[in-house]
Amino acid sequence: MPVERPVKKKRGEKAVRTASPFACGPACGLQACVKDGVLVRVEPGDFPGTGHICARGLAYPKLVYHPDRLKYPLKRLGSRGEGRWQRISWDEALDTIAARFKEIGANYGGSSLAFVMDMMGILSVDVLLGFVGACQGTFVLPAGCGDSAGVCGDRVCYGSPWWYGEDYTTRFDKPALCVVWGSNPVDTDFFKWRKIRDAKEGGARLVVIDPRFTATASKADVYVPIRPGTDTALALGMMNVVLDQQLHDVPFILDHTVGPFLVRRDSGMFLREKDFVSGGSEKYVVWDTWSNAPRCHDVPNISPALTGSYKIGTLECRPAFQLLKEMVAQFPPERTSEITGVSADVITRLAVAYARTRPAASYRGMGCQRTFHGDITFHAINTLAAITGNISFEGHATFELNHIAFLARGVPNLLPLMQLYDAVRIGKPSPVKSLWIARHNPVNQDPNFNKMISEILPCLEFIVVTDMFMTTSAQYADIILPVCSFFECTDLIFPVGNGSHNYLQLQQKVIEPLCESKSDIEIITSLVSRMGIEGFLKESPEELITLLLASGHPSMEGTTLERLRQGPVLPASQSLPHFSTPSGRLEFYTERLKQFGQELPIYLEPLEGQGSPLAKKYPLILLTTHTKYRTHSAFANVAWLREMDPEPALEMSPADAKPRAIKDGDLVRAYNDRGEVRLRARVHQGMRPGVINISQGWSPGDYVAGTHQALTHETINAVHQAIYEPNASLYDVLVDVEAVKEP
Amino acid sequence: MKKRYGLVIDLERCTGCRACTVACKIEKGMELGTGIRVETIGGTKQDTPRGTYPELSMCFLPIACMHCEQPPCRDACPTQAIYQRPDGIVLIDEKQCNGCQECLTACPYQAFVYDEDKAVVRKCDLCFERLEQGYEPFCSVCCGFGAIFFGNLGDPRSTVSQLVSRHDAYTLKPELATGPAIHYLPVKDPRRL
Repeated sequence: MPVERPVKKKRGEKAVRTASPFACGPACGLQACVKDGVLVRVEPGDFPGTGHICARGLAYPKLVYHPDRLKYPLKRLGSRGEGRWQRISWDEALDTIAARFKEIGANYGGSSLAFVMDMMGILSVDVLLGFVGACQGTFVLPAGCGDSAGVCGDRVCYGSPWWYGEDYTTRFDKPALCVVWGSNPVDTDFFKWRKIRDAKEGGARLVVIDPRFTATASKADVYVPIRPGTDTALALGMMNVVLDQQLHDVPFILDHTVGPFLVRRDSGMFLREKDFVSGGSEKYVVWDTWSNAPRCHDVPNISPALTGSYKIGTLECRPAFQLLKEMVAQFPPERTSEITGVSADVITRLAVAYARTRPAASYRGMGCQRTFHGDITFHAINTLAAITGNISFEGHATFELNHIAFLARGVPNLLPLMQLYDAVRIGKPSPVKSLWIARHNPVNQDPNFNKMISEILPCLEFIVVTDMFMTTSAQYADIILPVCSFFECTDLIFPVGNGSHNYLQLQQKVIEPLCESKSDIEIITSLVSRMGIEGFLKESPEELITLLLASGHPSMEGTTLERLRQGPVLPASQSLPHFSTPSGRLEFYTERLKQFGQELPIYLEPLEGQGSPLAKKYPLILLTTHTKYRTHSAFANVAWLREMDPEPALEMSPADAKPRAIKDGDLVRAYNDRGEVRLRARVHQGMRPGVINISQGWSPGDYVAGTHQALTHETINAVHQAIYEPNASLYDVLVDVEAVKEP
Repeated sequence: MKKRYGLVIDLERCTGCRACTVACKIEKGMELGTGIRVETIGGTKQDTPRGTYPELSMCFLPIACMHCEQPPCRDACPTQAIYQRPDGIVLIDEKQCNGCQECLTACPYQAFVYDEDKAVVRKCDLCFERLEQGYEPFCSVCCGFGAIFFGNLGDPRSTVSQLVSRHDAYTLKPELATGPAIHYLPVKDPRRL
């Protein structure tokens, strides 16, 4: 049972425990204080032992009662983006949408109706999925908006059954060393930071690897200033030291990784018994040093070799670990230092500490996977963890919900976000002609703004946006539907499980929907019958949650709607199935990526790296990091937060500002071939020379001109596509900056 | 035993998240300004470090009314609107305040803000109304990282007294002998690998 934090209830107030679905990851629990039907205050809602809230969470009432909230459905007048709107009734809005959907579906097929969402409870997602499935429509997978490369790396190594495999490298009882790779949990993931902080207070050392000196870096024992996009090389350099000094964990590599499995030199595939024994099995094969012969890996009383080269018949084979060792040998500390900008001495000390200080936890942030080869970065960090035995099997858990019940009327086509561009523009892989945007802000948050405006949006025959505010995306809609805040509707909040917490929570309706706003669930269920789908999604949100909980999976045992009303619930089953890779082991060598030459975590330069020819024209790397003052583009309109972070700023090092004659506060222009943005410079020492940063979430209207997304690109990495979803390489962008005259 | 309410703020734990700042706005109904602000000890601008890349340092310093033992603001107030309770909490009687803002100048900690709408000054009152109902100050409740400890500094067994005696605690501008009731625990030095 949750420990209740005393909430000070003023006269006539009641406190309702709810939870935030906002896309900042942690899904904080909240106590919503209500008086006379008005949300008056938000307080931290307890998880057992901890209560968390942030400046944004506390400011929720300002978002709920914001004067700019959309109050009723709107229909576009004039051309798209012109900003002329007409108030219409819900009936007119929904009838129009249904008619247009039927028309477009009849002309181009159901899959031309695409739906993209973000920032909602899991019931809203399932209802939307169910509806899209019933329409034979296309559901756009949103992870590619910057978060899907790391998943690819994790799926390669762990075959992660869920989103991220962060638990494998972080779930230690008492980590003795915490290494944060390319992220700033102090500002952006409070649950994760609390765990790191606790470990640090328990005596653990903290290492923070980041090109920027962030608030997290300020808490570090050792700050490792790295060139963006080179984390893979750093991990390889560390492995070089580990292997050179024989600090690797041989029993772990033998028992839990593909290290001893023999790899055929001719094909790069793992040797199977059938490859050299007629009628043999598909079993993986190791070289037994006791019998000096190949043996199936699961034979008892063998001593598999990790190194060497062996002839089996005509086949030349080497253990996967030998291949890793050979690759890693190319990254001695000196060379790694040249690539990463981290001193050879720091690389060596870090590697030795990481191997010797057990357990050492690796917290991999989204930052270091937002480059074109960010998937390999996770692959490399996981490999480093594996060869030093810094992998945890403790207490992993997740819920298995009854998603399938919502797909009774059909299964949607799935389209990764980064492939939406070409689906709309040129009909590849299949044409998309209408887009339903639910609480997502793709025009503002997805890459290549100018292309989006000039080449993507005009190809869409129909755009519907459901949002609380007139976002950048809503400005280009044909119909806008006002949705209510999460305090105004019931939903289920699923733990992201990215090393934060594993609690399932109820988002309880606290107040009635404001003005004419409706929940996403109500909007979709009102469309169902209009689309001619009968007898589907008729239940109340509470009934639908009960249905969603009833998967019958052991993890759901005892998890009921009633129990969720009392507070957050942990999954009943606590053990993680072992690695769900093809081999059932941690695969630092993967057959799946042999075709791409990435079977090992090789180092590849960023697409727009400082070594590329493009860097002669555009020498600065642009980062667009997350901030504590906003959650993506949400909260940018809240005065309380705006008071603390009033306007966009281009952060740059004095080393880059001086030769460009830029002073702190000057109006500057960042530009490349794709576009430009104009804003004030903020010159400070916390930026690595050669790297600039504009914290994301600002809208075009917040800038003097342009937008940071005009600089970014949507180039697809085929590896991501093969493993999971292509990622937006938002931190793999070259620009230059110049001072401009005041307008 | 004499009550002396105060705060201990652990700067090693403070991350500059500014939940305290927003919490204060909510509790005290302040649209702009706050009773507790968070300064950056680092570069010249908020959230930036000092030093030369990559040899840098940065930490955060939440500052509220210090509820001084000898409050300079009280002595400077021409209308006697500022007074101290027996438990040490320094309060403003808004009915007596004429908005002259002498206290803004007198306070060495810039703890006052001027509320233009009401033409009165405002500052942290240690959430004395919450205390009377048995609840801690709202900033302390909302601090996401448990950096703000509230308690009775007059009781040697209280958590705050023990933190003050156990650590290398300090107060701001001790040379002014104002006797602040906010004590700070310093950040810890980095350790080698």
